[in-house]
Formats: sequence, structure tokens, C-alpha cells
Amino acid sequence: MPRDASIKKVLVIGSGPIIIGQAAEFDYAGTQACRALREEGISVVLINSNPATIMTDTEIADRVYIEPLNVEFAERVIARERPDGILPTLGGQTGLNLATQLAEAGIVDKYGARLLGTPLKSIRKAEDRHEFRELMREIGEPVPESWIVEEESQLDEPLKSGIWPLIVRPAYTLGGTGGGIAYNEAELREITRRGLSLSMHHQVMIERYLAGWKEVEYEVMRDANDTAITVCNMENFDPMGVHTGDSIVIAPSQTLSDKEYQMLRTASLKIIRALGIEGGCNVQLSLSPHSFDYYVIEVNPRVSRSSALASKATGYPIARVAAKIAVGLHLEEIDNAVTRKTLACFEPALDYCVVKIPRWPFDKFNVADRRISTQMKATGEVMAIDRAFEPALHKAIRSLEVGIYGLQSKASSKMSDVEIEEAIRIPNDERLWAITEALRRGVMVEEIHSLSAIDPWFLRKLKGMVELETEIKSQSSAILAASEAEETPPADVVSLLTRAKRAGFPDRSLSDLTGAVELQIRKLRKRLGIVPVYKIVDTCAAEFEAETPYFYSCYDSENEQ
Amino acid sequence: MNSAPGHRKDSVLSETRKKIVVIGSGPIRIGQGIEFDYCSVHCVWALREAGYDAIIVNNNPETVSTDFDTSDRLFFEPLTSEDVLNILDREEPEGVIVQFGGQTAINLARPLHEMGIRIFGSSYDSIDLAEDRDRFEKVLSELGIPKPAGRAVTNAEAAVTVASEIGYPVLVRPSYVLGGRAMEIVFAEEDLRRYMQYAVDVSPKAPILVDKYVLGKEVEVDVISDGVDCLLPGIMEHIERAGVHSGDSMAVYPPQSLSQDVIDQIVDSATRLARRLEVRGLMNIQFVVDNATNTAQVLEVNPRASRTVPYLSKITGIPMVRVATHVMLGKTLKEQGYVSGLHPNTGSISVKAPVFSFAKLAKVDIGLGPEMKSTGEIMGMDTQYSKALYKAMVASGIDVPTRGSMIATLADADKQEGAGVIRQFSDFGFDVYATGGTARYLKTVGIDAIEVKKLHEGEGNIVDLIKSGKIDLLINTLSSDKRIEREGTQIRRASVEAGVPCLTSLDTAQALLLALAARRGGEDFALATVDEYLAGTVN
Repeated sequence: MPRDASIKKVLVIGSGPIIIGQAAEFDYAGTQACRALREEGISVVLINSNPATIMTDTEIADRVYIEPLNVEFAERVIARERPDGILPTLGGQTGLNLATQLAEAGIVDKYGARLLGTPLKSIRKAEDRHEFRELMREIGEPVPESWIVEEESQLDEPLKSGIWPLIVRPAYTLGGTGGGIAYNEAELREITRRGLSLSMHHQVMIERYLAGWKEVEYEVMRDANDTAITVCNMENFDPMGVHTGDSIVIAPSQTLSDKEYQMLRTASLKIIRALGIEGGCNVQLSLSPHSFDYYVIEVNPRVSRSSALASKATGYPIARVAAKIAVGLHLEEIDNAVTRKTLACFEPALDYCVVKIPRWPFDKFNVADRRISTQMKATGEVMAIDRAFEPALHKAIRSLEVGIYGLQSKASSKMSDVEIEEAIRIPNDERLWAITEALRRGVMVEEIHSLSAIDPWFLRKLKGMVELETEIKSQSSAILAASEAEETPPADVVSLLTRAKRAGFPDRSLSDLTGAVELQIRKLRKRLGIVPVYKIVDTCAAEFEAETPYFYSCYDSENEQ
Repeated sequence: MNSAPGHRKDSVLSETRKKIVVIGSGPIRIGQGIEFDYCSVHCVWALREAGYDAIIVNNNPETVSTDFDTSDRLFFEPLTSEDVLNILDREEPEGVIVQFGGQTAINLARPLHEMGIRIFGSSYDSIDLAEDRDRFEKVLSELGIPKPAGRAVTNAEAAVTVASEIGYPVLVRPSYVLGGRAMEIVFAEEDLRRYMQYAVDVSPKAPILVDKYVLGKEVEVDVISDGVDCLLPGIMEHIERAGVHSGDSMAVYPPQSLSQDVIDQIVDSATRLARRLEVRGLMNIQFVVDNATNTAQVLEVNPRASRTVPYLSKITGIPMVRVATHVMLGKTLKEQGYVSGLHPNTGSISVKAPVFSFAKLAKVDIGLGPEMKSTGEIMGMDTQYSKALYKAMVASGIDVPTRGSMIATLADADKQEGAGVIRQFSDFGFDVYATGGTARYLKTVGIDAIEVKKLHEGEGNIVDLIKSGKIDLLINTLSSDKRIEREGTQIRRASVEAGVPCLTSLDTAQALLLALAARRGGEDFALATVDEYLAGTVN
């Protein structure tokens, strides 16, 4: 279907200031959406209180209002501009909440506008725990035992069930504000009280806590014609219990069998169809590590931090496509802007591994509670791309700018064995390095798994990296000598250096491990031809030629132009 | 088709166009937020507009700079010297731009310079001159530009000596800091010794700066210089007095309380500094205007784009990053149609306000000080100061209460000034609750305060009152008494948990009163696009 010609002017609602749970991803999404709409000849009106955004540039939107994001000012903008449509799903939870309030107050109708993209009814079904649970029951998708609680007296039923631990999630909040895991009655009452006070609708959901289960996300798109695709799936390194925004995330999933992957993909597509989303959404699922049991955890009926990550991980511009869908286009009518040969209905394929690590503010707040759980604490994140998990993880670590460049951190190397165990058992910002330190001290993968429930696949990879580190250390004098000599070093040294670089060890770590000067290692590598090549992120695993020059490095054999 | 400047349809790299690499700013963190991504993207656009192929290196998946069609080439890579040098080896660009990616990018200036890479804009030496405390102080004294008295020290004894020379209170901090980390205002020798012992790692390699804490207004300017001419698009005046980190202060454009004499001092010092440091592109300078002497003293300079650049760009209509990028490429300010000096004020008034994420960070003390705590910022624009303040307050999440109940707990040093502020709330019809000392003081000056129990005085205490939902506002100023502060921390955390706005600076409270008055005045707030504010066509 061609685009809806009755839409000539659209109001895009931004997400306001950067807060934990809502960072730059909505400037990225909003900017893409504005451009996508203007490509269709639509005039864009923008409201956002944050001027440090590209979307509020007059090059991106036609009419820019830097005004507070509340009903009062938004209504005045609508009254003055008379947009034909309002795009609510690109401004994060802030934008979505404001659009919902405007619609519920009758302001959208009053000025002859309408909400574009995913209908309000679908948004409600996705966001209201009760409606969502009902819908999942109807379509036969499993949801964990749960109770909606609006006042403390309703805690009797969950208490009677005898299920422990329980997880408490407030409705309509950012980044899980006010949620938590309760192991006993006192904790349940305390967390519930806090959650109720922070929820806009004074509502929390209490649910069976799936301790040790895997957390997997699918990014899905659907158009009004019911065509639906998955853009990519992502797997959390940290099992259930850690907010996705605070978890290390890997795309595509690394530890799922094909059957599991397909089972969860099918469920995600079924859910986006049942909800009637027109645009993008994010489905979070929990998978048992021991069986094919899974539960649907939650759906975000809008672009999100995860969709920004998925876009950058695949090259598929989710926000752009969502904006096109919102004005009536179907997936098969939208170009893939990366290849310019394929269409938006092609599912991306990845021939590389992507790792995201959250960036926490604990360097600023040394008194803060550094444990991570269901309440997000990260202010930002980094992403890295490489051919495999190990080098991608290495790249992400040194992107964090927290004074750590590799597998070793000062803090964890100073910890006692007991402290290390604690840091592995209770998730915190230091856990990754506590694990590598434990492996260095000879702790078995099985033991770390039983403490953390992190999938043994990841732990074995980390173990391999630590073993390589040990090998480098054992060869330190040979590497040091090679870095200072003119002649070609022995073949085993060359091979070790090559393997180290393929596993992502930065020269700085090699320098720390061997005592060689970092720049001397660089010179040695260049002399030996151990230099990176650059590959293209092309959405299609090189099936078609990409026109967009988006590169990542790897120590592999062939450059892509 | 409408498109962004320099947004070409053909993204295939030309073999003939020259290439320049723009270093991005990495993950969003406190002290380095989205504004640097804004700057990086504008730099890329300006480079493309000038006919260069713009290459960006960044690792943050949330941003516009890492969108696949922002630059001619995107390298999704870590921002370490090794990874960047690898890209430079492959691309062989004309050089790199490090001014827009915050401290992340500026920190790469040295290793890249040492490898013989050309840094566009201010040279590595110019950057070092601004960042190296000793070299910079020599420049200031050579130019006769005042700065707060103080010195760098490497042990506790030296710190105590310096402090007794210049007099307390002193501002102490490690010499290399980002976003004011581990910075404190110290009032007495005992606290200085404690700071030197516990708060920081001191060594000859990592000296501590001990500076006179100057009581006065803080002011911030961004300067674009081509080495000869020097443009100041605008001055932003902080609303909170010196001592609150610039990233956590509210700030207003144009300044509301500076005399022409002080403005002239600021323009003069900024211009001479930019020339002496041979700035090519952007520089940010922070001043404190000493109340006692009415002199603008330099607190620090950042030889790069700052967090206020996107704000001033939108307020003044000067595309600051674009102008600075063209300067770096060799086009003078004159050739771009700009002259030296302070750009004339636009008609609107804009207030920038910080936004915090304290609800997410259990145990973090929300009191404001020299360490930055905010995660983001917003802006309110209007034609009147009080209305712009109101918008900024609302947009930053403070639900401006027009009447209701408030609690005041004032440190002894603030009681006199604080009483004046509380009186105005009381006059607006607020019920005023206060703890012991504050309540008694307020009564002596004729404010009818209801006494509430302190935290350790049992049930029905101040925290219970905050949590009861009856309170609309808390004003809690910070005490230098650590014993009182332990309770203060708990009171402020309670306000976060209960969603009650909490102000720790009397200046913010005074600003809130102005905003409140605007709200109660019943007049309409302006509603205009950024372009209309600029054109002065707002009713």
C-alpha cells in the first residue's frame, strides 16, 4: 500500500533529558524517523526539552519546539500546528506516556489529529500487565505465575502461593525503577511499597523469579498488512534477574540450539501479530537452561535501547522503517538503505559477533550500591563487533574507559577468594573480571556456573582467553626480546602473537603481560604483518553488495572495500 | 527532498576527495553526555559540506554519530590509540579532529601527535598549554589574568601550608580530573588532612590542587577563534553560586546579574587567552566573579567543545561546530562573516537545568557540590527570565508546587539568608515545617514554622513526614558538620524515594520562587519555534 496521502504534517515527540534508562538512543531513533518522514514529503514538527540533540536541529525537523514535555505545552503545540498525525513510539517511555496522556485527555481527537503507527489499544495491551497476561493466555504463550497488585493488602495471594523468590516490577516506569527481587515476606512488602509509589498507575506485577534462566530478546517489525520479520535476536550474558540495560548482551545469541532459536522466534512473531503492533517492538523471553520451557517476560511496543543496539548490530534501521510503516508503507515497499538492493522485509543475517557492555556511573559514586539487578543503573553502553565473541568482548572492555583494557582489573586482582566468590554470585559491575580472576586462580568452570548460572559456553570462552593470557605471560621474555630486536622472531612467537590479536588482546595488555613497550609491540606486529583487516556490516552476510561503508576491524585475512 | 547539510546521496567513497577522521566521544557517562555526539555529528556535516570525506570512529550504539549514513565511513571501534592508529594506517587521512569528542577525544591528541598525525584545529602544544596546570598558570600571569590563589601540592603538610596562606575555605581536587571527580570544598585543617589521607591517591606524579574557594557567581563562555579573531557567541551565567559543579548548575543566557564591566573583563580575558593559546576552533572557559572585588577570575579552560555548545548554538543561531570546523580547515571567522567579540544578545531568555537519576541509584547522596552528579540537561526558553525558569524547572522534572507544604532544614551558616527565602514561600501560602534549630530561628524572625522531629527523635519525624505524601518541597542546605550531614543524607534520600523535589542550594530555591511567581501570575507562557525565538517574532 502506498503511503497515506492524508498525512501531510506529523508531530514527533522526543524523549527529553538523558536519564538512566533513557539515553541517546532516542535522539538516534527520532532523527532517523524525522528524515524518513521528510523523505516522504511530510512536514515534521518536533517537541523536545533537550536541545543537545540532532533531532531538534532545524536541518532535521521543519518546526522545532524546545518546550517541556507535558500535556500543557504539547497541547499548545498541537493547537498551533494542527498536525495530521502524532508519532508516539520514538520518544522512549517519556514520549509514549505523553502521547497516551494526550490521547486519553481527548486532545488528539480535539484537534483532528491521530496517533500513527502502533494503535493505542496495542500499546495498552503490551504495557498493562493484566491485559498482556490475558492476551498471552489467549494465544497460548506461557507467562510466569504472576499477580497484579495495586495495594499492599493484595499481597495475600502471592504469599499463599509459596513461590520464592518473587520479582516485583512496577508498571509504566523507566528502566524498571522501583523493582526488585524478594526472598521473604518483609522484602516483598518493602519492594512492593516502593514500587507502588513510583508507578504512574500505582500498579506493580509480582511474578515468579526465574533464577538461572537465560534471558533472550528478539527485535521484531510488523506492518499493517501483517507482514512480520525478526531483525535480530540477542542473548544476555547475565541470566534472569539483571536488567537488560545492565547486562552484557551478545548478538546474535551464542548458546541457543537451532530448535530453541526457532521456537523463540516463532513465539515473538506470534506475539507481535497478536498485539497488532505497526512498527517495531522488542520481545523479552526467558528460556530454561535445562529444557525447552520458556516464558514471555515483557514486550516494549516501541523503539527502545535494544532496538538501537539491534540496528547498529545488524545495519537494519529499525526507527526509519518504523516511521515508514507508521505512514502506511508496507515492509516490502521500503528500501533497505544499506544494500539499496534488498527490501525491509528481508531479515538481516550476521556473519560476526556483537558484544554490548553497560557503562555504569560507579566511578563517580563510590558510595553507591554497585550490585546490579532489576533496576537499571547504567548511564550508557558500548558496543563492539568482531568475528568472534572473544575479540568483540575485548574491544568492548577497552571501549568503556574505566581504566581496564583487558581481562584483568586492579580491583578483582586484590580481592580475596571469598570476595571473588561473592562478586561472582551477586551480580555487580565487577563480575566479569571477578570471573576471569577466579579462572586465573584455578576455579573450575562448573563452579563458576553454579555460583552465577552464567552459561558454561561463555565461561569456557573466558577460560580460553585466560589460558591464552597465561601462555603470553609464559612467553613474555621471548616477546619482549622480539619487540626489541630487528630480526624475525621464532615461528611460535609469531603464532602466539597472531592468536592473541585474533582473541582481541590489545597491545596494551600484551605490554602489561610481557614488559615490552606498547609501541614496540605495534612495530613488531606491523613488521610481521599482524595487522587488522576491515569488514563491512552489510545486513546480509555479504549475500548482496552493500553500499554503506560501515566497518569493523578483525585480525583476519581479507579486507572488504 | 529535504536533507541535512552535507548529506550526500552517494555514499561511495571518492578517491579524489581528501579524508579527515573525527574522533567520537564513546559511552554516555556522567560528565560526558549526548552533547558531544551532537558536536561530532555537526563536525561530520561541516566536513562533508567543505568537500571532505568525513570518517567517524566511535563505539556507542545509541548515537546519531554511529548511524550508518551520518558519515562517509563509519568505524565502529574502541577509542584507544591502538585502534585509532590502525584506522589511520588504513585510511591515510589528512589528519584527525579531536575537539568534539569530549575528554575521550582530546586525550588522544598526545599519542596521535607523537605518531606524527596531524591534529586539525588547536595544535597538541596548544591543548597541552591549556591542560597542564603549571604551563597554564604561567600564561595567566604573563597575561595578567586573575585566577583564585592556590598551588599544586604533593603531600598533606604542603596542603595545610598552602591553605593557611590563602585562607579557608579551599577547593581541593586531583590535578587531572574529569567532571570534578573527588573534588571537595574544605573549611578547616582537620578536614583537609582527612581529605589528603583518605579521599585521594597523592604522589609527586599525581599532585593535588589547593585553591582559594572564591565566593561568587560562576560564568561560562565558549570561544571560537581562528588565531586572530575571537568570537564569543554568548555568556552563560550559573544560577547557583560557585561550588556547585558547572554540569549540575542551572544556567541562564544572557547573564542576568553581571555588570558591563565584568562582561568586558570576560570578553577581554577570553580573547587574549584564545590568542595566546593559539586556539583554532573551540575553547571553553569557566570564570568565577569574585563578589568582593568584582573581578572575573579564570577557574579553568577546556581546549575543546564543551557541554554548552549545542545550547548556545540553538540560542544564538550561530552554528558553532560548523564555524569552528571551517576555521580548522583554514577559513577565517571574517571569511565566514563573523567578527571578534561578544555576539549581540538575541531577544529570548534561555535557562539550562540539570536532570538527575537519583531514583535509580540507591544510597547516592543527592546534595550538590563540586562533583558532578547529573546525567542530563534540558532547556527552557521564553521571553522573560521567570517564565524560562519555570519551563526549565518543569522540564527537568520538578513539579513546581504553587502552594502546599514544605520542609526547611538549614545549616547554621545559611539560616539568615535561608529565612529570607522561606519567608517568600510562606507569603505564597506554603505551610512551613522545620526541624528544631531551623524552626526556632524562623520563629525569631517572625515566620510561623511548624516544628517537626529530627530523624533520631522517634516516630513522626522528618523522614516519616516526607514519606507521608503531604510534603511538596524540601529545602535542605548542606552542613559542614559531618554529624549533621549523616542525617541530612538520609533526609535527602527519603525525598528521592518519595518523589518530593529537594533543593540543596538557596540559589535554586530563589529561582524556584521566581518560577512560581511566573506560574501564579496567570500570564501565558510563550510558545514558539527555535527559529521564531531567534527572529524575535514571539508574542
